[in-house]
Amino acid sequence: MASATRYRSRYIAGQLLAWWPAILLGLMVLMAILAPLIAPLDPNRQDLLGRLKLPGYEGRGGTYWLGTDELGRDVLSRMIYGSRVSITVAVLSVLLSGIVGVTVGMLAGYLRGWPETILMRLVDIFLSIPAILLAIITVAVLGPSFFNVILVLALTRWPRYARVAYGQTMSIARRPFVTLARSMGCSVPRALLLHILPNIISPILVVATLEFGLMVLFEAGLSFLGLGVQPPTASWGAMLSTGRNYVTSAWWIATFPGLALFLLVLSANLIGDRVSDIIGKGR
Amino acid sequence: MSLLQVEDLAVSAGDLQLVDGVTLDVRAGEVVALVGESGSGKSLTALSVIGLLADSLKVTGGSISFDGTAFHGASGRDMTDIRGKELAMIFQEPVSSLDPLMPIGAQVAESLIVHGTATPAQAAKMAVDMLRRVGIPDPERRAHQLPAELSGGMCQRVMIAAALISKPRLLIADEPTTALDVTIQAQILDLIRDLATQDGTAVLMITHDMGIVAEMADRVCVMYGGRVVEQGEVEDIFLRPRHPYTDMLLRTIPRLDHPPKQELFAIPGNVPSPSDWPTGCRFKTRCDRVTAQCNNRPVLGTGHHRTACFHPLTGESYDRFA
Repeated sequence: MASATRYRSRYIAGQLLAWWPAILLGLMVLMAILAPLIAPLDPNRQDLLGRLKLPGYEGRGGTYWLGTDELGRDVLSRMIYGSRVSITVAVLSVLLSGIVGVTVGMLAGYLRGWPETILMRLVDIFLSIPAILLAIITVAVLGPSFFNVILVLALTRWPRYARVAYGQTMSIARRPFVTLARSMGCSVPRALLLHILPNIISPILVVATLEFGLMVLFEAGLSFLGLGVQPPTASWGAMLSTGRNYVTSAWWIATFPGLALFLLVLSANLIGDRVSDIIGKGR
Repeated sequence: MSLLQVEDLAVSAGDLQLVDGVTLDVRAGEVVALVGESGSGKSLTALSVIGLLADSLKVTGGSISFDGTAFHGASGRDMTDIRGKELAMIFQEPVSSLDPLMPIGAQVAESLIVHGTATPAQAAKMAVDMLRRVGIPDPERRAHQLPAELSGGMCQRVMIAAALISKPRLLIADEPTTALDVTIQAQILDLIRDLATQDGTAVLMITHDMGIVAEMADRVCVMYGGRVVEQGEVEDIFLRPRHPYTDMLLRTIPRLDHPPKQELFAIPGNVPSPSDWPTGCRFKTRCDRVTAQCNNRPVLGTGHHRTACFHPLTGESYDRFA
């Protein structure tokens, strides 16, 4: 009895240990959703007398747990609000690039012939353009904004999904069950959506989780370059960018958003690895 | 009038002709067997009929008409309406022919939903009834299971249920029992025959097993080297074969009254591959009745019992299954 309980608690502890990236990611998502409730101070409220104060500074607004930035804003509150930008941009750009890429890849892999040639050469062309260059050009043309960041990320990343979906579709499309479905009167779009997509979705999900981490980094990179979300909106990348100027005098401005970024990307990648392990075992 | 009429069908892969000059017809409600060795073009003929040839293959000649409507050079798109509704097909590999991630009930209901014959709720109910008809025990529960949870024989029953739920007028069965063991084979064949008789469905049965032909077919169509070499009623084919190939094919069947210790009959040589089919009669390289005339292409002729041979076996109506 006692050993069974011990075994169970050990099992639960093991599962928690194994899934800590998921728990961490969940907490971060929760933080983003509940930002207005948990942020101790207004992230955009400036206090020019309380600039560049050390973590734990007691100022006019209250306690600044992670210090203040160059305009006297609360670093903790800005970080909490910044998670909203990072996570929504990452989720939306993964969804957008995934939908576009999977559609293109599946069509190319199923139809073959000239659609395959055109679509996959297009993929090759996009893969050959440096992502940052494409991002700079797009932002230069469209102007920097939240939605343009998502657009830019989707534009640079969809070929990755297209490649995976293309290869998987080719191997599934010639399987007898697709022919059977077609023999029952299934149209091509229905066969693709109902019979082929569920059978190729697992490797695509692995790519998507790994891409999620990359999208967080890309967004931060764009914001760092000033091509992303515009001030005063808090974003981890933008905080890193301004914090860089003060890194010798006020290390906390760049360090904490950097740490948050690191943990988010790490947990996303570890989840991706675990998902691919589990799917690999299932095969 | 014939339900399915295939006239002089030709299928090629690039420059390679795989099927040429296949002529056959299936009348409403009858069972026609399409017999031949591997590579004789049986399956390609069937896939051409339903318009699902692989992309690398093309119908390059002849005509196919179903119920009076011609599908000459059918791209497949114009056939979507009748596929599953009036014309259905079942395949060799029951397990890999079912979508591994879709519950079998949904797969059986598929053709009803695709053609809008029933609402999803009705279709689900009809699928359970159909699963019961094909002999799946506890169909309400089984309908929610995935193909991996069923045996091969069960999967074949599911595929039959999916093909016949819309009560098609023609069922094409491409070696439906090849992957199953013998006891299950008999059950599946009985099932196909019973359901087809009940619903008045005609069956085009593709097989290389003469035992199945004798048991199931009303008429037989023998193929060799991408061509039809003999066609006739099942009694004609078995009792009075006229093409030397049909005759040899029948002689290869081991018999219980075969004298012991005597070698079994085998057709000499191998099936030539499509790239080196001989000119004229394609069986001439393995035939014992070959003459110079066989360098010309024999025509199938007309009538109920017809054969594409210059030197058909005649007269001696020997009763080989007495």
